[in-house]
Amino acid sequence: MKQILISVIALFVLFSVQTIQAKDDSCLNCHRDLGDSPSGLFLTDVHYKNGLSCSDCHGGNKNSDDMEVSMSKSEGFVGVPKGNKISEICSSCHSDKDKMTALGASVKTDQYENLVNSVHGKLSVNGTERIVQCTTCHNAHGIRKVNDKLSPVYPVNIPSTCVKCHGNADYMKNYNSALPVDQLTKYRTSVHGELNKQGNPKAAECASCHGSHNILSSKDVRSSVYKLNIPATCSKCHSDKEYMKEFNIPVDQMAKYEKSAHGKAVFEKQDISAPVCNDCHGNHGAVPPGLSAVSNVCGSCHVINAQLFSESPHKAAFDKAKYPECETCHGNHEILSAKDQLLGIKEGAVCVKCHSETNSQKGYMVAARMSSTIDTLLALQKKANDLVFQAEQKGMEVEEAKYTLREIHQARLESRTIIHSFSEKKFSEVTDKGIAAAGVVVGEAQNAIDEFYFRRYGLVAAILIISFLMIVIFLYVRKIERT
Amino acid sequence: MISNESDGKIIKKENRRDFLKYLLTTGLAGFALATIYPVISFLKPPKQREVKVSSVSAGLAKDFNTGDYKIIRFGKVPVIVIKDEEKDFRAFSATCTHLDCTVQYKKDEKIIWCACHNGKYDLHGRNISGPPPRPLDKFMVVLKDEEILVTKSS
Amino acid sequence: MDSRLQLSDLVKFMSKKYVPVHSHSVWYYFGGVSLFLFILQVVTGILLLFYYKGSSDQAYESVQFIMSKVEFGWLIRSIHAWSANLFILSVFIHMFSVFFEKAYRKPRELTWITGFFLFVLSLAFGFSGYLLPWNELAFFATKVGTDITGAVPFIGEPLKVFLRGGDDVTGATLSRFFGFHVALFPGIFVFLLILHLLFVQRQGMSEPIEASIKKEKLKTMPFFPNFFLRDLLLWLLVLNIIAILAVFFPAELGMKADPLAPAPAGIKPEWYFLFMFQTLKYFPAHILFIEGEVAGVLLFAVAGVLWLLVPFWDTKSSRGQLNRKINYLGVFAVLFIIILTIIGWIT
Repeated sequence: MKQILISVIALFVLFSVQTIQAKDDSCLNCHRDLGDSPSGLFLTDVHYKNGLSCSDCHGGNKNSDDMEVSMSKSEGFVGVPKGNKISEICSSCHSDKDKMTALGASVKTDQYENLVNSVHGKLSVNGTERIVQCTTCHNAHGIRKVNDKLSPVYPVNIPSTCVKCHGNADYMKNYNSALPVDQLTKYRTSVHGELNKQGNPKAAECASCHGSHNILSSKDVRSSVYKLNIPATCSKCHSDKEYMKEFNIPVDQMAKYEKSAHGKAVFEKQDISAPVCNDCHGNHGAVPPGLSAVSNVCGSCHVINAQLFSESPHKAAFDKAKYPECETCHGNHEILSAKDQLLGIKEGAVCVKCHSETNSQKGYMVAARMSSTIDTLLALQKKANDLVFQAEQKGMEVEEAKYTLREIHQARLESRTIIHSFSEKKFSEVTDKGIAAAGVVVGEAQNAIDEFYFRRYGLVAAILIISFLMIVIFLYVRKIERT
Repeated sequence: MISNESDGKIIKKENRRDFLKYLLTTGLAGFALATIYPVISFLKPPKQREVKVSSVSAGLAKDFNTGDYKIIRFGKVPVIVIKDEEKDFRAFSATCTHLDCTVQYKKDEKIIWCACHNGKYDLHGRNISGPPPRPLDKFMVVLKDEEILVTKSS
Repeated sequence: MDSRLQLSDLVKFMSKKYVPVHSHSVWYYFGGVSLFLFILQVVTGILLLFYYKGSSDQAYESVQFIMSKVEFGWLIRSIHAWSANLFILSVFIHMFSVFFEKAYRKPRELTWITGFFLFVLSLAFGFSGYLLPWNELAFFATKVGTDITGAVPFIGEPLKVFLRGGDDVTGATLSRFFGFHVALFPGIFVFLLILHLLFVQRQGMSEPIEASIKKEKLKTMPFFPNFFLRDLLLWLLVLNIIAILAVFFPAELGMKADPLAPAPAGIKPEWYFLFMFQTLKYFPAHILFIEGEVAGVLLFAVAGVLWLLVPFWDTKSSRGQLNRKINYLGVFAVLFIIILTIIGWIT
C-alpha cells in the first residue's frame, strides 16, 4: 500500500515537472511553431512523455528563447547527430543503469553493447560507422515502446521494419551479396507469417529467432540461429505449453527430437551434417510438411532410400492409402536409428502394421523371410568376429580375414538401404554377398585357430622325439662308460 | 662253467647294445623326420600371392578407359584408382569415412560415391556432400612403363 | 663307406683325444653349445633368406609373409630369434668360464683372441639382425645404437655415416645391415671359428690351473664317443628349450617402421647391449673437457682392449700361479653386467 502511494506521488511529481518543462522548452516551442515533422513526431515520443527535451539529444540550451544562445556551440548544440554519434547519444542514457533508474525506466541497459557486438554493429563498408544505428529500427523522433502497436519494433511490425533493408537487393549488395533478400516473401508463406499478418503478436517474427540487438550471423556459433542452437531457439516457444495453448499443436517435438537419431547426432556428437528443425521445416518459410512433402525432405539426404522407395510397390500403396512415405515406418520427430528389428513380424517390427498372417499374407511371409536372413547375417557376423578375435588372441595372423570382415559389415549396412526396394530378390543379392563373405572369414579364422593347436601338438611331438633321442643317448653313454 | 657264464653275460650285453643301437637309429631317424618335415614345408612356395604393400600395381594404363575405376587391395585396405576426364590417374582410400563402406566412382557426376548413405567426394577426395565427416586419404599414382603403381602418399 | 672315406681313421683320431674330467668340466660344454647354436643360426638363417627381402619397402612385409603365409615360417623365424639370444648368452658364459679358469693363459693366447673377436662379431650379428624386420622398435634401436658409435672420437662420425649408409637410418642402412648380417659377418665369423677350433684341436682342452700347481694327474674321458655324445645330449636339450620358447613366445613383429613417426616411448636395445646402454645413461653430460657419452664409449673401448689383452698382462697365470686379482676383476665384470642389465630392464 505504502509502495503504491509512493509511486503515485512520484508519478504525479514527474508529470508536473514534465508539464512545466514542456512549457519552458524553447526548442519545442519554436520548432512547433515552424511546424516541422520532428517536433510533431516528438510529441508522441516516449522520451517526451518521460520529460526529455530535444536538447537532451541535440544539445543546446532549452531555456533560452534567444536562438543564437540556445543553438550555440558553447551551449553544447550538436545539430543533427550523424553516424555512430546517434547510437552513442542514445547509449549515454540507455547504457547507464543509474540514469535509467532515476528516470523511472525499467528497460534493460545492454542494448548498445549488444548492438556493437552484433553483425549490425560491425563497421559498414565505408569503415566509419555501424551498419545500423538505434534510429534505424526505433525511428528518431516518435520513438514508442515495444509493446505500443504503432512502434516499428512491435512484434507484428518487425517484419516490415527489417525488410526495409533486408528486402532491398540493391542496398544489401553493399554488405553481403550472398545474403538472400526474399525472406519476407517466404515468411509470408509460413504459418508464422500468416499469423503475423493477422496481427498475432505471439507468432514468431524475425527477432524471435534472430534476436534483436544481439543479432549474429547464422555461421557464428554464438548465434541463436547457428545450426546447433536452432532446436533450442525453436523450442523456446514450441515446447512452452502455456505459450502454445491457443495454437492447439503438440509441444513434445523437442522432447522427441532429442531422443531421435538426428537429435543425438546434433546434441551428442555436435554433428552439423545432421538435420535440425529448419532442415525439414524450412526456416523463413516454416511449414509443417504435407504428406508428399515429407519424403521430399527426407530424400534430400537419404537419396537412395527415397529413390528405391519410389520405385517400390509400396509407393503406390502408400499413396492410395494416403500414408506419408517415410514417417509411416520411421516416425517424425522421434526417428530412431534404424534397427534390424524394424523389419519382420516380431515385436517392434513395422511391417505388421499392414501385413498380417490373415491380411496381405504375401508381404507377411516376405518380411518374415527377410528378417530371418538378417538374423542369419548378424549371427554369422558375430561368429566371424568372435573367431577372428579368438585367432588374434592366440597370436595368429588373420589380417586377410579381418579385411574380409568389412564385406559383412558392408552387406549389413547396404541391406538397410536396399530394404527400401521391398524386393526380396534385390535384398538377397546384398545379403548373399555378406553371408558368402562370412563363410570365408569363418573358414579362415577357424583354420588359424586349428593352426594354433597344430603348433601345440606339433611341439609335443617334437619334444617327445627329441627327449626319446636324449634318453637313448643317455643310456648309451652310461653303457660305454661302464665298460 | 665260469667261462660259460661270462660268455652269457657278454652275449646279453651285446644284445643290449644292439637294442640300444637300434633305439638310437630309430631316435635319429625320428629326429631327422621332425626336422626335415618343417624345413621341406617351409621351402614349399606358399599358395597365396605375396603381399607387397609399399606399392601395388593397379594393372596397365591401357586397360583403363577414361572414367573407369578399379578397387585394388593395398595391404589391409582397399584403394580406388580412377582415370579422370583429364586422363590423369588418381587413387584414394576406398573406405568411406562415414561408416566404412567401400566407395565407387560415378563417371557421369564425376564424383566418388558411397552407395551406403550417398556420401560424395570430389576428385580430390574431399567430402562434398552427404554424411562423410572427413576426406578420403590420398594415395600417389606413378606410371612406370604403362603400369599403374599406387603408393602411400608421404 | 668306411673304405672310401676312412671314417674309422677319423673315429680313431677322435677317440684318442681326451677331455679332462674334474669338478669344473661342466664349463667345457658351453663352447659346444655355442657352436651348436651357431649352426642352428646358419641353417635357419639360410631358410629365412629364401623369403626375406632386404629393402625398406619390402622387408617388413616379407617378414610378415614368412610369419603368416609360409608353412612353419613362424617356427623358423622364432627359432632364429630365440637361438640368437641363447647363442649370445652361451657365448657370454663360455667367455667368462674361460676367463675364470684362466684358460687363456700361455700357450692359448691366440685362442682367447680369436674368441674375443668371435664374441664381438656375435654382438654385431645381433645388432645387424635386429634391424632386418624393419619394424618400429628395431628402427629406433638402430638409430640410438648408431648414434652412440657417432660418439667415438675422430672416427665416430665417419663410422656412423658408414654404418647408416647416409646421415640417417634409412633403407640404405637396411641394405647395409642385411649385407653385414648375411655375408660379411658370416664370412669373417666362419674363418675365425675355424682358427679357434683348430687351436683347440692342436692344444687340447685347458686344464684347471690348480691341477697343474698340485701336479695332479686328472682323469680323462675320450672325446669320441663319450664327450661327443654328452655334447649331443645337451644340444638336444637346448633344442627342446628353443622349440618350447618358439611355440609359446613366437618372435614378434610389431608395427612397420615409419621414419617420420615420433619415437615410441621406452626404446631399448637388445638385452645384451643393455648394460652398456644403461652405463652411458649414468654418465654426466661432461667429464672434464670431454662429453659424457664420448667418455663412456672410450671407457668401454679401453675395457674391451684390456679384456682382449688379458693373457698378456696376466703374467702370473701364464707362469702357472694363482692370480686372485683376475677372479675379483671377473666377478666385478659379471656383477656389473648383471646389475646394469637388470636396472636397464626394469627402468
